[in-house]
Amino acid sequence: MDEILGEFIAETLETLETLSGEIVAWEADPSESARLDAFFRFFHTVKGSCGFLNLPRFERLAHCAEDVLAAVRRGERIADPATVSAVLAVMDRIGALARSIGEEEQIPESEDDALLDALSMNSGGFEIFAPLPVATPTGDEIAIAPAEDEDEVRVDTPVAEAPTRRSSDGGSRERAPRTIRLPLALIDQLMNGISDMVLARNDLARKMRDHGVGPDLEGSFERLSANVADLRDMISKTRMQRVDRLYAAIPRMVRDLTRELGKKATLELDGGDVEMDREMVEMVVDPLTHIVRNALDHGVEAPADRIAAGKSEAGTLRIVARQSGNQIVIEISDDGRGINRAALVEKAIAARLFSAAEASLLSDGEKLNLIFHPGLSTAAAVTSISGRGVGMDVVRANIEQIGGVIGVTSAAGQGTTITMRVPLTLTIIPGLIVRSGALFFAMPRGNVVELLHQNSSMIAIETIGGARIATIRGERYSLIELEDILGLERNTELSGPRTLMVVRSSIGQPYVLGVEAVDSNEELVIRPASPAITAAGVFAGMTLPDNGQPMLLLDAAGLAQKAELPLREADSKARPTAIKADADVRAETIQALVFCERDGKQRLLPLAVVDRVEDLDAGQITISDGIAFARIDGRLMPALNTQGAETGTPKSLRLHDGHEQISYLIEDVVDIIEVPRKLDAQLSQGRIAGLVMVGDTQLEMIDPFAVFAEAAGRRVGAGGTRPIQCLIADAEDPWMRNILAPLLLQAGHDVSFGAAGDGTPDIILCSDEAAVCAAGDVPVLALREVADPAAGGPASIYRYDRETIMAAIAQAVRRAA
Amino acid sequence: MTDTLFLFASIAGVPIAIRTAEIEAVVRLGDVVPIPLVQNHVRGLAALRSRVLTVIDMEARIFGTCGHASLITLAVIADIAAHSYGFIVDSVSDITQAPNGIQPIRGRIDPAWAPYAAGLVEHDGRSHLLLSLTDFVAAPGTALAA
Repeated sequence: MDEILGEFIAETLETLETLSGEIVAWEADPSESARLDAFFRFFHTVKGSCGFLNLPRFERLAHCAEDVLAAVRRGERIADPATVSAVLAVMDRIGALARSIGEEEQIPESEDDALLDALSMNSGGFEIFAPLPVATPTGDEIAIAPAEDEDEVRVDTPVAEAPTRRSSDGGSRERAPRTIRLPLALIDQLMNGISDMVLARNDLARKMRDHGVGPDLEGSFERLSANVADLRDMISKTRMQRVDRLYAAIPRMVRDLTRELGKKATLELDGGDVEMDREMVEMVVDPLTHIVRNALDHGVEAPADRIAAGKSEAGTLRIVARQSGNQIVIEISDDGRGINRAALVEKAIAARLFSAAEASLLSDGEKLNLIFHPGLSTAAAVTSISGRGVGMDVVRANIEQIGGVIGVTSAAGQGTTITMRVPLTLTIIPGLIVRSGALFFAMPRGNVVELLHQNSSMIAIETIGGARIATIRGERYSLIELEDILGLERNTELSGPRTLMVVRSSIGQPYVLGVEAVDSNEELVIRPASPAITAAGVFAGMTLPDNGQPMLLLDAAGLAQKAELPLREADSKARPTAIKADADVRAETIQALVFCERDGKQRLLPLAVVDRVEDLDAGQITISDGIAFARIDGRLMPALNTQGAETGTPKSLRLHDGHEQISYLIEDVVDIIEVPRKLDAQLSQGRIAGLVMVGDTQLEMIDPFAVFAEAAGRRVGAGGTRPIQCLIADAEDPWMRNILAPLLLQAGHDVSFGAAGDGTPDIILCSDEAAVCAAGDVPVLALREVADPAAGGPASIYRYDRETIMAAIAQAVRRAA
Repeated sequence: MTDTLFLFASIAGVPIAIRTAEIEAVVRLGDVVPIPLVQNHVRGLAALRSRVLTVIDMEARIFGTCGHASLITLAVIADIAAHSYGFIVDSVSDITQAPNGIQPIRGRIDPAWAPYAAGLVEHDGRSHLLLSLTDFVAAPGTALAA
């Protein structure tokens, strides 16, 4: 507290000094509003600062002066000489009081009344001595920060404890360290100058190495070099600010909020001497403010509730900052009621984030993290302070934007702790220099989880359905290549394995980024990139490493977005559904044939459509008019996957849809396995229906519909009787759509999808008879999923009992006719 | 108006003028590091001592083409909205005052130039198109659409 007090005094005296010149000018021309504003701001600041410093005298004086000035500003009062002198007297008194803090000798408080009387006397009935109103309810009161010019930075010069005297203060000691204010632009210029110097030094060092110089010269250079390095470090420190700055507005805010909410809370601030980049301080102010508000509004209970819960009447809000490596950790903890998980989950279910069943699978941590989800708030009522459900998601976004992380722990009835970890500085970050083609890019090291060589035994890379997947220690990641995203040429000449980085971004899941090589690891000074460059969406900034070649900083999240990788939303749902899929495996599996395609790739086919596996003779395959046929058992059937003139004995899968047969040529049969009926990833691309996870890999499932349709497209249309109109009631059911529909089409029937009652079908097929009630006299054929007749309705037919299905369709239609 | 200084240069063979108030320096650029995924007129990054310049190809921006492949040498340096830029020009002839000030454009100007030309400035007996550098860094498409 002494620190803050000292700073307050120094600042007040400084401002007074600056204003002293203005005072004279104001007296001469009291109507000028710019000066009036400056005075107003001064009193406002004093009032705000001393509110939490427990300096009621200051507060009272400043408040009255502020009122008078406000009246002048509103035009309710004229700044006549008497008023001006009264205001000036108050300013002088504030200055005198500030200097006397910590001194034995005090100005008697009664003297203040005389000053205030002078102010009110001139007010012509203007009531000043109304009981001091608590902070006026204007919104900006809460965010009182010392009225510091935005463009200035305080430089604390360690002139230390030496008692310095000020000419004006008549012998009172200066307690705060001496500070000066410098324009920010000057500091920036200084930094640029040092950077230039470092580059020149590096250049000189290179040249000296090339030319070979004597040890004498080298010694001198070493000394210069060390000095430059020191200088750079020192200049970097001018960017640093004490966390106290971050804390400045909090006591006042806590005081106002607790009064407004009718709660009691004591505030403990710790670690104010930790330093962080001033830009970072600015970035953290809003999130911190928000968290503190939440803690007071939702966390800390009303005094009566606290007593009932056996706690002390006043809650405790504790904010601790500490440095941990190159990160600043800020913890905000309260001893309130904790976060109500059940309420959060309820809200989430109401918001249709997931189902109740899925919610039961969430871990405690995942439930807590729901507070960061947009639109969820546990507040029973929306208050003016918080509870609108906008906020914690924004807080997280803000923190992550500056490369930080935010976490929450909470124990019911005991309190909540929110931990923010932010980098020490925005401008100097450790980065990996990566090479792609002829270009170099920097990747923030904080985003890189792991580096691997492409040929490492730990990694398996597959290409499936166009997607590249890297499996590292059983974890599957999307694999993208930097050159592909950036539209660069791959350097083909270079031998050696490419480097893969496991990259974590603030949004979405981690992914693997392939680069040509990782060159080095450097501390990089990051500058913002110009809008024309950031428009590309994949660059976070630019940097000039010591070699003097400008380089762009990659944005891990931007790359993921550019590559259209799945974002976080998918991630939060993936887990419950994956578990659900596991649970369903036993109940909903089908047998699938694993086979090896002629190009060597393993794929799956539902075993139900495979009639038999045969070894053919090359002579059995004929290509006629560009269409391949296999002659098997005296029948010609379309053959797929022929490779020109066949040799040897190709293996064929005879696929049967109940009516037609086709020959699907393969390399070999591998296995028969159980796979979930529901595909793990639905695709509808060519012959592939989707992906199925099998053990450590994933295989593509062939879509029988597509295969038969492909064969049918080549075949001379088989004429027949009037096609039977089949309506499939559950169009969403993949089996109906992918397996049954092609079967029906192959059998020469027409298939349509939709609800019962659409059109005039001859027969309706569905998986559940009861679901189709409005069928009228149209026969309904229910297909059950299991072979056991007891499982479905009495008239239901097992869905893989083709003969019966076909017969039932034919019979039903005959009956209708 | 007559005391305003102008830089006289040329782009794609067209004489141009830029107010010196907008300009910091004219330098010979070293290596330009290309940037992927950006518009054609953003040629890359160049280092000017410890500063990093975004190099803008004015010709490419005006004509929407890929620009000529000639070596980039001369660039007009300017700070716009806290970012440093280098604008490629073919040649620079002079920095001087224009006794007759800025005059309206006569004749029908090529539509490609129209969004950028703000007037005519006479120098050495020739008319020069007056350009403003800020037009070349505005959000892509805005000036071109104008």
